[in-house]
Amino acid sequence: MTSSALPAVRVRGASLPSSRWLCSPLSVILLALLVWPGMRLIAESMASDDGGWTLAHYQDLWRLSRLRFALIASILLSIAVAILSTGLCLAPAWLLVRRSFRGKRVLRAIYTLPLSFAGVIVGFLVALMLGRVGFVPILSERLTGIPWLSGAAYGFAGVLIGYLYFEIPRATLTLEAALERVDFRLADVARSLGASRLQAFFWVVLPSLAPALLSTAAVTFSVSLGSFGVVLILDARSFSVLPLEIFMAYLAFPSDRPAAAAMSVTLLAIALLINYGCRLAFEGGGNRGAAVMARA
Amino acid sequence: MLPRFRASPRTLQSRLVLLSLTCCFALACGPSESEPREPVAAVAATEAATQGGATVIQYDCIPNYANWGGVTEAYFKKTGVRVPPDMKGSSAAMAALEAEVASPKADTAYYSGAIGFQAAQKGLHAPYKPAGFEKIPADLKDPEGRWWTVHIGHIALLVNTQALAGRPVPRSFQDLLDPQYEGLVVYDDPRIQGTAFTFVYGINAILGGDESMDVGFEYLKKLDTNILKYAKENSYNELLRGEIPIWINADGNGLKARHVDGAPIEVVIPQEGTVMMPLVMGLVEGAPHRAEAERYLDWLLGEEAQRLFAESFFRPVIDVELPAELAAKFPPAEAYSKAIVPNLAEVAERADAVKKRWEDEVESR
Repeated sequence: MTSSALPAVRVRGASLPSSRWLCSPLSVILLALLVWPGMRLIAESMASDDGGWTLAHYQDLWRLSRLRFALIASILLSIAVAILSTGLCLAPAWLLVRRSFRGKRVLRAIYTLPLSFAGVIVGFLVALMLGRVGFVPILSERLTGIPWLSGAAYGFAGVLIGYLYFEIPRATLTLEAALERVDFRLADVARSLGASRLQAFFWVVLPSLAPALLSTAAVTFSVSLGSFGVVLILDARSFSVLPLEIFMAYLAFPSDRPAAAAMSVTLLAIALLINYGCRLAFEGGGNRGAAVMARA
Repeated sequence: MLPRFRASPRTLQSRLVLLSLTCCFALACGPSESEPREPVAAVAATEAATQGGATVIQYDCIPNYANWGGVTEAYFKKTGVRVPPDMKGSSAAMAALEAEVASPKADTAYYSGAIGFQAAQKGLHAPYKPAGFEKIPADLKDPEGRWWTVHIGHIALLVNTQALAGRPVPRSFQDLLDPQYEGLVVYDDPRIQGTAFTFVYGINAILGGDESMDVGFEYLKKLDTNILKYAKENSYNELLRGEIPIWINADGNGLKARHVDGAPIEVVIPQEGTVMMPLVMGLVEGAPHRAEAERYLDWLLGEEAQRLFAESFFRPVIDVELPAELAAKFPPAEAYSKAIVPNLAEVAERADAVKKRWEDEVESR
């Protein structure tokens, strides 16, 4: 292996093969961590009581209403979080890249701080703000006499806010990195050719941002799909999400472990599909971006 | 025309710092979100190294339940052996032992009676008779020492009178159904917490229901409209804060909140009656620190530990003389006259089915 790699250094320059060698132990570890538990998970999800194979645990996901609702709720919640966090974070990311102002570092710190919080902590924060006697209802009762949003933490609204708070740093950082790569001279050209500020944004900047928006949405969707610390603490009354059902299946009824494995594999498959789909669209988007550039 | 590709070294650096911080945080909180055991165990390990002490792992060692925080602290001061907190409820503790049966991580576990009985039945416990075992009444222990009672609690309504905002204090389970308590009542998720399971199981008999348990489940379904949440984590601090005005839990926890933590808590033994709940322990089969665990379990049945439990209002299983001042703070004996004493073997046998029925009929709706 080493002897065959060495000539490559001379032929193609030093940087590529050496970085490949640096990466390879990590790649092996990552692959092992993915493949071995993944195989076990798949095997466990298809184990039947009599020692044979079955797909019953996957069918249960649709057959049992509580699991079906949890699956649908998980997907809807993650879509909502993906759209909202990508949309909301575009403005701050724009500000951080395009403007220089005092306190920029503080602003960035505020936006990236939640990245270091575990879901459970975010859950506690939401409960403290929007609980039955949370900060917001108490304050609004003092001001208006009506405790607005009292107990909102334990419903869909509370969970959505918790998940959003969790995804804001991820969305901001991804979009910031993407915005740094946008060639804003194109927008200037469009402006000099008579486009208004808004036209330049919607017809020039946004199309070249499309891949970044899509990949940000994909990342926030996938993370939301798998996180459950927030729901664990908030114990939302009206709905449940699949990761919480997995947790309950593992911890409350040990006999449900194959069901839990089936749910895990399903979540994994959805996340992979979404990311792969976005990658495909990303390539398409990239071409469109190139076309826009060519037109400009 | 080349797109600008620029990331200033400073932002890159700060991002790397942030990323590594996140990783540290994730490592500290990640795999054990519900059980902050590792970091504490790590602290214990360093402290133990300086004192030559060791660690005993107890599943279900919730600091705010039955004063486990105070009891394990006292044991650490006395012996230098650390028993780190563990936030699993009874059922979660049993499930964890079951999952780890090939290589046990815990030395001992604590449960509400029926779940501990069930765990012993599943062969998760090694027989052991701690010092003082013979003083435990016969119906509160396994003759071979696969489980035994450490103290006793009763199901009660723990009411934060301040948080009721002028509403009357409920006196009975029937009162709890009143619409004025909508969104004010909490009991924990009975699939995880043993105390909540004891309530969910016991309410049927308290209300005079028969074998079918329909009376109990009818009540739980009606109560559902007044429930704020079925908490998966311990709710003691939320009761103190008034976030939870009415918590159906063990009487001792409410009495401690009132007398030790000085919160405006009233402990109501409901008029219809209550369930007596033996709280039991067992030595885990294949315990990694067996010798240390045995010494700890011996100590828990001794006079010192039993008095500590009594000071946090869980009734000692062994006769210890309580100071008159402390004894006066317990509710009068006649409040418990209608307490039902469950048959643990029977409850254990039906436990899984009852939890499933609760999941289907009450929680899912």
